[in-house]
Amino acid sequence: MVLKDVLSKENKKAFMLCNEAIARGALEADVKVVAFYPGAPASEILDTFSDALGSFDYQMEIATNEKVALEICAGAAFAGVRSLTAMKSVGANVASDMLFVLGYTGVRGGLVIVMADDPHAHSSQSEEDGRFFAPNTYLPMLEPSTPQEAKNMVKKAFEISERHRVPVIIRTVTRVNHQSGIVKLGNIERSEFKKVKWKELKEEYTTLGEVARQKKLKMLERSARLLKEFEKSEFNLTHNPESKVGIVTSSVSYLYVLEALKMLNLNDKVRILKLGTTYPLPKETISNFIRTLNEVIVVEELSPYLEKEIFVLAKDINSSIKIFGKSSGTFSEAWEYNPSIVAKGIAAALDIAYPGYEQIVREAKQFKSTIPDRYPTFCAGCPHRATFVALSQALRIQASKGQEHYFSNDIGCYSMWVFPPISMTDSSLCMGASVGVANGLSHVIEERVVAAVGDSTFYHAAIPALIDAVHNGNKFTLVILDNSVTAMTGQQSNPSTEFTAGGRQGKKVSIENICKAIGVEFLEIVDSYDVKNNVEVFRKALEYDGLAVVISRRECALYGDRNKRRKGEKIVPFYVDKQICKRPYVCLRTFYCPAYEIDNEQQPRISADICDGCSVCSKLCPIQSIKRVEAEK
Amino acid sequence: MSLNIFICGVGGQGLVLLTSVIGDACVKKGRKVVTGEMYGLSQRSGAVSVHLRIGEDVFSPLIPYGGADILLALEAIEALRYLEYLKKDGIVLMNSRVMHPPVETARIVASKGTKYITLEDVVSNLRKWTNKIAVVDALALARESGNINTENTVFLGCLSTLEAFPVEENFIRESISDAVPKKTVEQNLKAFELGKRSAHGMLCKLVPCRYPL
Repeated sequence: MVLKDVLSKENKKAFMLCNEAIARGALEADVKVVAFYPGAPASEILDTFSDALGSFDYQMEIATNEKVALEICAGAAFAGVRSLTAMKSVGANVASDMLFVLGYTGVRGGLVIVMADDPHAHSSQSEEDGRFFAPNTYLPMLEPSTPQEAKNMVKKAFEISERHRVPVIIRTVTRVNHQSGIVKLGNIERSEFKKVKWKELKEEYTTLGEVARQKKLKMLERSARLLKEFEKSEFNLTHNPESKVGIVTSSVSYLYVLEALKMLNLNDKVRILKLGTTYPLPKETISNFIRTLNEVIVVEELSPYLEKEIFVLAKDINSSIKIFGKSSGTFSEAWEYNPSIVAKGIAAALDIAYPGYEQIVREAKQFKSTIPDRYPTFCAGCPHRATFVALSQALRIQASKGQEHYFSNDIGCYSMWVFPPISMTDSSLCMGASVGVANGLSHVIEERVVAAVGDSTFYHAAIPALIDAVHNGNKFTLVILDNSVTAMTGQQSNPSTEFTAGGRQGKKVSIENICKAIGVEFLEIVDSYDVKNNVEVFRKALEYDGLAVVISRRECALYGDRNKRRKGEKIVPFYVDKQICKRPYVCLRTFYCPAYEIDNEQQPRISADICDGCSVCSKLCPIQSIKRVEAEK
Repeated sequence: MSLNIFICGVGGQGLVLLTSVIGDACVKKGRKVVTGEMYGLSQRSGAVSVHLRIGEDVFSPLIPYGGADILLALEAIEALRYLEYLKKDGIVLMNSRVMHPPVETARIVASKGTKYITLEDVVSNLRKWTNKIAVVDALALARESGNINTENTVFLGCLSTLEAFPVEENFIRESISDAVPKKTVEQNLKAFELGKRSAHGMLCKLVPCRYPL
């Protein structure tokens, strides 16, 4: 239904996820090259383009990392072709090296960069405020609040990008990316994709030393021009009649402000400035807004980005104004906001009665104290669970022989080793860091260092650290969990997959060949499901006096299920034979599969509708009481 | 007038599809709709939640605490997890299905005497908040429809009967037909009907319904 809307030629209204609206906006703007590395909350932009690839004429890559993705888009933009990339907040850190030089070189064709921050760290390792990239790189930044506005901004961003020959950042947050709403579709008029002649477009995209110094001056002039333009931007809205109190806000906080004013019965009583262009910040617009106010409330999540600018401007324009925000303690720099938090802040600033929300939250907490947590967990059939079982058994055996360990985890589905009931991780940091940190630790700790990294993360950022390990003779054990896809973000393809974006044929890049070429001497490849064998392999890899790499390979269960369905193959579940089961609970004590429960007779029971038929638990059972359902007949 | 529905469940139960069907039906009917979706870290078996808001004066993708008219729980334990979003005396429409997370089973294995939380435990706690609780055996109805994956559609059937639900069932049926895989349309429409019928047996005794039988 939704893809149908993304592809629709009609100018109708459609219910869309913001990420889909962003893709639709770019298609309406005739984007010709897109490249991404997936990451929540931006992944669905990639997915939408991948799904739509058969219907429109554009080039797409699911790149090895965000920096490569940005470079692909920059290459296209140097040749005057419109391109778009999207990345999560921490992905922008990886891409940032390129981001900074693009500020200096500029581009010819429109280049739009969607940067999706994640206040509350719902699916990220930090609550990064990516807005600071904009003033630091001198790249203009737009911030939408709704799917409709995001679509409008993407289209406008291409125009700004080409007019000022500069990449444009669209900065979102999780509650914008994962917000759905009604979007009015515009015209889709696609031009034919054809190659251009570099000879006709040729110019220099360099920046170094004196060239950089000269370009810096040009960059400042460009920002001044952008500032002038943004003072008149339709994305900066002022509404409600004049009042002595005003609110300055942006992004999703704007929506919380509207909701909060409604909750406080102040609907049209407080003047609002909603900023959509947040770099360069329209100083005159802000100054005019605060000039006659007695009080201004600044509502923005994370850092006081707008607030600090308002302090600076107020000094000259209206030095007696009271500014409520982070510095006044009205709002926190921690965590995401919601309508209740914003209502409480506004009520406190205005000194009006509001019962707050603490009471209701406290009361609810008391009634739900009995429910178990539902941590993120491995899906039924997940090969990582099997790898964990074998690895943890090997580690236990080694511990009984006096070899202790440090477990250096990475970013991917296997990150879930962090959570109970498994809770096996000493560090889990950022893409590829498992191997980098293992190098450092191997120099200084007595215990064996064990690092774990997935296929996608291996290609993304772990290879340089592994080269470092070989070159320097560092001794540790690395487990590469190869499940063929980038599973955590929705099973996108990566160099370990036989296809690329849009399901097109791709060439697999062999992880073992990379390891061999680097010079890894201990290299074993195992089937993740073959737990008994793998315990012994892991043990050897732990005892090896050098760098030992084990590739644990088995496709992601969800990806495998999808392939099975495509081929018409059935998933045949397992069951516990109650006649045989003597309740040794090996399945329950070591495997932690969501298909398992205990029944009223204290016997393990497998839910047939959750079981993936992976068979691993049946191999773990010491008395062979777990059988495939068809064997029952 | 606005209608706020907080939807929760377990990854894999089809919350996103359910949301998408309601959203699309709202467009067809000409209603404004906004949602905020939270998928969680894991692809399956984790906690998933959606804030769904229909009405001209809704802006935020998140429902204020105590602002949900309806708490729709596709899994029983999850109904309690987000209680702070439900209005006092609001409607709980929930599945009788309890999916015990691995951490709960692990705890029971580790220490004798610990027991699973039950549907009755959940309902008795919910009763301290509201008396309008409708429990549906959606899994059984899904099975009856011929497709075990239609629990979400069963609940669409229940919702569509509510007088407060501002979209008539023909729009929802149309959106279901557009959204689900072609070969499952019939099963989904059957699940929708079964959901409607079950609502009349329970939900409609608690709150005003649209199509009295």
